[in-house]
Amino acid sequence: MKVGFPHGGNIYIPLRTLFRELGVDCVVPPPNSKRSLNLGTKYSPEGACLPFKLTLGNLIEACEEGADLLVQARGFGICRLGYYTRIQEPILHDLGYDAEVMKFTLSENFKFIGILKLFKRICDGASWLRILRAYHFGMSKFRDLDEIERLVQRVRPRELERGSANRLFLEATHAIDDADSMSSLKRIKKDYIEKLKGIPQDPDADPITVGIAGEIYVVLEPFANMDIEVELGKLGVEVRRKLSYYQWAKYNFYLNPLGINEWRAVRKAAYPYLRRDVGGDGWESVGEKVLYSQEYDGMIHLFPFTCMPETVAQNIMSSTKEHIPVLSIACDEQMGKVGMLTRLEAFVDLLEHRHCQKRRGTP
Amino acid sequence: MDVYLGVDVGSVTTKFVLLDGDAQLIFSLYLRTQGKPIKMIQEGLNCVKGEIPTGANIRGIGTTGSARYLAGIVLGADIIKNEITCQAIAALHYVPDVQTVIEIGGQDSKIIIIRDGIAVDFGMNTVCAAGTGSFLDHQALRLSIEIEEFGERALQSHNPVRIAGRCTVFAESDMIHKQQMGHATEDILYGLCQAMARNYLNNIALGKEVLHPVVFQGGVAFNRGIIRAFEEILETKIIVPPHHEVTGAIGAALLAREEVIERNNGTKFRGFEVSNFDYRVSSFECKSCPNRCEIAQISLNGKILARWGGRCDLWDRVST
Repeated sequence: MKVGFPHGGNIYIPLRTLFRELGVDCVVPPPNSKRSLNLGTKYSPEGACLPFKLTLGNLIEACEEGADLLVQARGFGICRLGYYTRIQEPILHDLGYDAEVMKFTLSENFKFIGILKLFKRICDGASWLRILRAYHFGMSKFRDLDEIERLVQRVRPRELERGSANRLFLEATHAIDDADSMSSLKRIKKDYIEKLKGIPQDPDADPITVGIAGEIYVVLEPFANMDIEVELGKLGVEVRRKLSYYQWAKYNFYLNPLGINEWRAVRKAAYPYLRRDVGGDGWESVGEKVLYSQEYDGMIHLFPFTCMPETVAQNIMSSTKEHIPVLSIACDEQMGKVGMLTRLEAFVDLLEHRHCQKRRGTP
Repeated sequence: MDVYLGVDVGSVTTKFVLLDGDAQLIFSLYLRTQGKPIKMIQEGLNCVKGEIPTGANIRGIGTTGSARYLAGIVLGADIIKNEITCQAIAALHYVPDVQTVIEIGGQDSKIIIIRDGIAVDFGMNTVCAAGTGSFLDHQALRLSIEIEEFGERALQSHNPVRIAGRCTVFAESDMIHKQQMGHATEDILYGLCQAMARNYLNNIALGKEVLHPVVFQGGVAFNRGIIRAFEEILETKIIVPPHHEVTGAIGAALLAREEVIERNNGTKFRGFEVSNFDYRVSSFECKSCPNRCEIAQISLNGKILARWGGRCDLWDRVST
């Protein structure tokens, strides 16, 4: 048996670790590339959203490498994610891959139990203790990566030599992926945090801050958003992003069932404009704009083209009374990088002018 | 005399302007890019050389448009700026109290919202070419009307027909339908103008507050039918600044002037010899990862000047 799963940001790192610890043979499909996109687009319904197409591409590539058990997420929410496995499974079967698709349901209340049960099903021989330990190790990697990424976001606009933080981040990602024990993971994390802090920075830098919000997959998958965080770093912008897969897992697995919700304040802030979940991350996108309009100089709203929840959010975001500029970018396979860079450059020019004016206005 | 050169290399047209020290336009040039940006830049520069007043020196040069980086490398630009910022700078130069800039070109259209002399918001067409010059071009072709006389003919309309302008495909079938019903060409033309203005305001200007004074720039501002359609819908006067078809290049030249004066150490302009240089562009597929990025490179006399097109900075870092 070989387990495969789709990509989504750096989610493959904890998953690979987990399966390795459990002694399960697993295939990590090649990172998202033009090939995965082409495959996904070719076999998807034309109007499906980008995450659907890319994850389908990943699953096909995993099957090509011999995966016969695929793990994919599904939900019973208001967005198309609910249909993903329903449609992707027959497409794979039509293509001649008879891999079993195991579904992880995102709309359950007790996801932690759900995911542990899923691992137990995949690796029947393992004891609960072994599963918990493997899970813990995977999540620790996830947490450390998240922490390092937050630091990278801070260093990028301040570094003197553009690209240093990025190179270190890539190195760190590989090192963490390869770490084989908690102690080596600890050392790697400490090591890279020191290295990142050691990057020569401009002490007088006063970068503008841009919040990135929108649909979680395109926000967190660099291939889908054309490395928007890196590009913004090159333009000297500090990126703030509330969304992260690690935080998602942390809250959804342990804290939400206890009644603690990290988005409560954000959703409440959206109340004057939107009082209910519209699917995806639409509610949060609106709330984030309202809540952080003082903190951010501007916001970038990323969403898959034809994404209903975020289209609702987009239309509300452009007209709230808390006014900060919002740049909406629809991500799909037709998007050209040149066009996106032009918009980013112009957006940053605009924010910088406003930033200068604000600074002059308040001594 | 000090002069400043602005170059706007767009997907359809290439624009050159020369400004004098007081930012007055001396000369402007409008060429079709024809998919050969480097050749057009070199040709354009040759024309500039012929038109430049005797005793004048190019003190600064700015490039903009979708081929701005390429143009910047070929010419040796002092500043490379995106077309949105350049259009805003130019609009502010001609109409200092402008609050809204409508810019419609061949392939794209933009709106720039300006308050107190600062651009505060902008919008740009994203996934569709409806609401751009090519839409009009296309429909004019269908009606066998020269694009130059489109506007004048449209103004003769008395009973404009309503045409679905959301999408070029639907607009076309709707227009054919109206033709078959026997409506006058003038009425269809003005109907198209209204459809385009509506489409622009519903898509690009969605959620933006369009305040007076409104400045209309870009090639489509030649079309008086469109101007009237905007005036009717917005119920305000539309200002079309002089040289509206080259405002992007004017903005680039103004920014170059600012940059050179501020930096105070001469221009990076490679000189008029550029026209005779043998620039070579080539591309190859990087095989380092499954992305297979198309890397483009430009070289001069066998020396590589720049590479671009990769998702990572692998090729940017290879010494050129």
